[in-house]
Amino acid sequence: MAVPKRKMSRSNTRARRSQWKATAPNLVKTVENGRVTYSLPHQAKVVTDSAGTALFLEYKGRKVADA
Amino acid sequence: MPTPAKGPRLGGGPAHERLMLANLSAALFEHKRITTTVTKAKRLRPFAERLITFAKRGDLSSRRRVLAVISNKGIVHELFTDIAPVMSARDGGYTRITKIGNRKGDNAPMAVIELVMEPVSPKQAVVNEAEKATAKAAPAPVEEETASAESADSPESAQSGDSAESADSAESAPSAESAEEATEEKK
Repeated sequence: MAVPKRKMSRSNTRARRSQWKATAPNLVKTVENGRVTYSLPHQAKVVTDSAGTALFLEYKGRKVADA
Repeated sequence: MPTPAKGPRLGGGPAHERLMLANLSAALFEHKRITTTVTKAKRLRPFAERLITFAKRGDLSSRRRVLAVISNKGIVHELFTDIAPVMSARDGGYTRITKIGNRKGDNAPMAVIELVMEPVSPKQAVVNEAEKATAKAAPAPVEEETASAESADSPESAQSGDSAESADSAESAPSAESAEEATEEKK
């Protein structure tokens, strides 16, 4: 098995990791019952009861899966 | 005929992919709804819908062709007796894929693929008929208008194009020279 000959320097490690970038997701804005919500497009949403516990996943008014 | 998938096979090789698709479709026909990764669901959709098309035909040769893929006779029986009659009124689009977010362990995008067992909604048939009726009424006058418009435009556009080209060539030559002079001065 090929093995590195030298220890990678702290500088090289940090230079590599400086290229890791987070990208913001594209959200869609919807107004439900007067409240503005942001959600991922084309993806099922979790339906919760008044206490905030997840009940099931829903997409376009159709139950998709259990949460 | 489903379009061949681009890119690498699922799993390790062609045989592994065939087995995975066969097992996924068997699980889909058994449970009517399965959760899998988005990639597998997208590959499974044309494969499974082709099997349902065989089931709708319903004769012995098509049953044998399905049995060549799915070895479980019980599931094939269920496909031919339960699923095929439900799909009889539906012209394709037998499955539905819904994305449900990423998996916890490896962050793989997951999806639910399910058989569309609901009866075909009569609303769409009415809408299609209405659209066809309007399309029949509309196109005849529109075509005449566009033909006359094209004939009127064509000579003008040809002339304008020539003049524009000549103007460009005249301008571009001196501008290039001036740019060269500017670079020389900088040096």
